[in-house]
Amino acid sequence: MNTSEIKKLIISSLDADADPGDISRKLEEEGISYGFSQNFGEKVLNKLFSAGLSINREVEFVKYMNFAFYRIALTGIAAIVILLISIFIMQGSLSLNSFLGLSDNYDESIVCLLTGN
Amino acid sequence: MIKESYNVSLENDLVKASLEGDKRAFGEIVNHYQGMVARTVKGMLGDSVFAEDIGQEVFINLFYSLRDFRGEAKLSTYIQRIAVNLTLNEIKRRKRFFSIFSQKGNNEMHEFEIADHNTEERKEASEIVNKALQAMDPKFRIIVTMRMLQGYSTKETAEILDLPIGTVLSRLSRAQEQLRNILTKL
Repeated sequence: MNTSEIKKLIISSLDADADPGDISRKLEEEGISYGFSQNFGEKVLNKLFSAGLSINREVEFVKYMNFAFYRIALTGIAAIVILLISIFIMQGSLSLNSFLGLSDNYDESIVCLLTGN
Repeated sequence: MIKESYNVSLENDLVKASLEGDKRAFGEIVNHYQGMVARTVKGMLGDSVFAEDIGQEVFINLFYSLRDFRGEAKLSTYIQRIAVNLTLNEIKRRKRFFSIFSQKGNNEMHEFEIADHNTEERKEASEIVNKALQAMDPKFRIIVTMRMLQGYSTKETAEILDLPIGTVLSRLSRAQEQLRNILTKL
């Protein structure tokens, strides 16, 4: 294929109704091919797996942190539920006063408690 | 057609094994898709040593993002997206670098290390394609690379570049115009 034919082929590859697969194959036959160096795969794997130990440790650490967070969150939720139940049993309601431990006190006794008179 | 992809079950097996740290399985993926990545990266950046570094980065990024690969798209599409994003980032980085450190402005580094070809004619064909691609606007260059070098249809190009088909078609037409102008000067 001469230069002008190659140019025509390149331009025609962008036609909306062209078969790009066929054109790319023809171009490849004309020596328009790309590739990396022969030991490309080896280089990638070396980069990945030589640094692998430290990266794996990081990944493990993040995993453990996620697991620990999950456990702590579950424990926290359980504690909150128990607290709510105990407040309900002791105070008979779940009002704000019950939460603050004020439901048994009259206003006067609070004033007395705060002022000392 | 140049497109290469595994059958779905083999692809899933390789991804699963790679996630479990199987070096050979990931090596298989690298060897299988390196040609496809080379066409995208070298088509966009020129046949330079930088392209090889970006190619390596593509597979390193792939390795660390395999956990996010849900198999909704083909693995080849997923890899192409990584390659396109990294290549476009590199082009932006080069533009910034050259606008700061040289008077060349937006001119990119043009390095044409043409691969071994048997004849002068082949070398010339390869040079024409490389020079034409490097002279193009990156947003058109990526469309031409997907279409001309990878052999993707409009629909596949739209899927990889995450663009509407209408946008791809309009860019194809504008890219063709730009390419025609460039090729007449070569």
